[in-house]
Amino acid sequence: MAFPLPRGITASEIAFLAEMETVTIVPRQRLEGLELLGGPVEPLVPPRRASLPLWLALLLKRQRRANIIPPTWLHPEPLALILEFESQHQDYKNAFSPPPPCPFTPDGNRYYVAPPFLPQNTAQTVTSSRDPPSLPFHWVEVGNMLLEVASDDLVDPDQIRRLLKDLREVRMAKMRSGVDVLDAAATGGGGVALTGVGSMELGEERGFITGVVDGLRKIGSSKEQARREQMAEQRANGGYDGTQDNDEEEDYMEF
Amino acid sequence: MSYYDIDSILTDAQKLPCTFELEVPGLGILEGNPGEDIKAGTRIDLPLWLGEMLSIGARLGTSRLVTLDMPDALSERVMNALKADPRTLDLRALAPHFYNLSERILELFEEEEMVDVLSDAFKKRAAEIADHAHNSRGTVGGGVDFLRGLDETERQLFRAAHDRAKDMRIWSGEAKRK
Repeated sequence: MAFPLPRGITASEIAFLAEMETVTIVPRQRLEGLELLGGPVEPLVPPRRASLPLWLALLLKRQRRANIIPPTWLHPEPLALILEFESQHQDYKNAFSPPPPCPFTPDGNRYYVAPPFLPQNTAQTVTSSRDPPSLPFHWVEVGNMLLEVASDDLVDPDQIRRLLKDLREVRMAKMRSGVDVLDAAATGGGGVALTGVGSMELGEERGFITGVVDGLRKIGSSKEQARREQMAEQRANGGYDGTQDNDEEEDYMEF
Repeated sequence: MSYYDIDSILTDAQKLPCTFELEVPGLGILEGNPGEDIKAGTRIDLPLWLGEMLSIGARLGTSRLVTLDMPDALSERVMNALKADPRTLDLRALAPHFYNLSERILELFEEEEMVDVLSDAFKKRAAEIADHAHNSRGTVGGGVDFLRGLDETERQLFRAAHDRAKDMRIWSGEAKRK
């Protein structure tokens, strides 16, 4: 192949995007506020918690200038709960655990923010305790990076690592078993529910799923064409003035 | 399928059994005796691109030069085997570009049932491919035979799934970059 990189974005690129996530830290040193392109960073005063982009938090952690407070979902209990949910619950046999709810503004209106800026990984809970725990969009990346750099800040990192691995495997198996319904998606009318799937999981399965859909589309194209012709015929017989459809039909007939 | 797509060109070169309807003078070279005529009713394997062209005469209103038959790769026997268990079949031995070929054939013949059989087989085999591609320990058990029997389309699928899983493992530090 002329271009060495595969189509779509690579794992390290996805991880790079995930570094825009906001996390909560407890600084150990003072630091003046920074004016970054992505927005200003508040001045860091030691005992006070602060929210920083993940990349900056990881940098400060590596330099031992701060401790990262793990996000609410990155504890053994919520992860175990989600895992149980995904593997035991009947309703979620073929679906993924739901994504975190969209945060509300104080006046009660829905507040729409683009995915990279959802405060899903901060320690301050955006979800009330009544909500079930949920995995954010970048859970694989954030979980992995925090385990790598800040494992001493996490509660029981080995357990967390094991749970994350199990979760990934359960969800990947679900995604792969989803091929059975892919032909409905390929020939129109059907769809595959990928609600709640994380960005890294999407990136990993993208090549395969699109390949399968494309293959099924090619195999089914003659049937699909016959169906269209039949539909156009029915419309024409039903007194429907389908001039456009007839044009379409002629195009398909050409070789 | 683009003009420069090598898989599309190779699909075009696959042989298709054709029966000549007319006597053609001087075309005996196709049969292996140059200078002779081709009699009506002769059966010869012609490449897909040639057979398609020659059989198209019927569409233009003139009598057609050849009639096409189903290639061996898509015969009734193969369809039954695919229906029984798609995973055990060596598609590569039947035709290296099995799915591309069947796609072209289905454009020429009206075979509703074959579409269903092929889609079903493709799905089942795709699931199997995904399992093999994500297995970091290489292939286990009878996996080698299955992977050897993949056609080109399926090989590309395997590649896509395998490369991504590997990329992911390298990023998360489970595997080393070569």
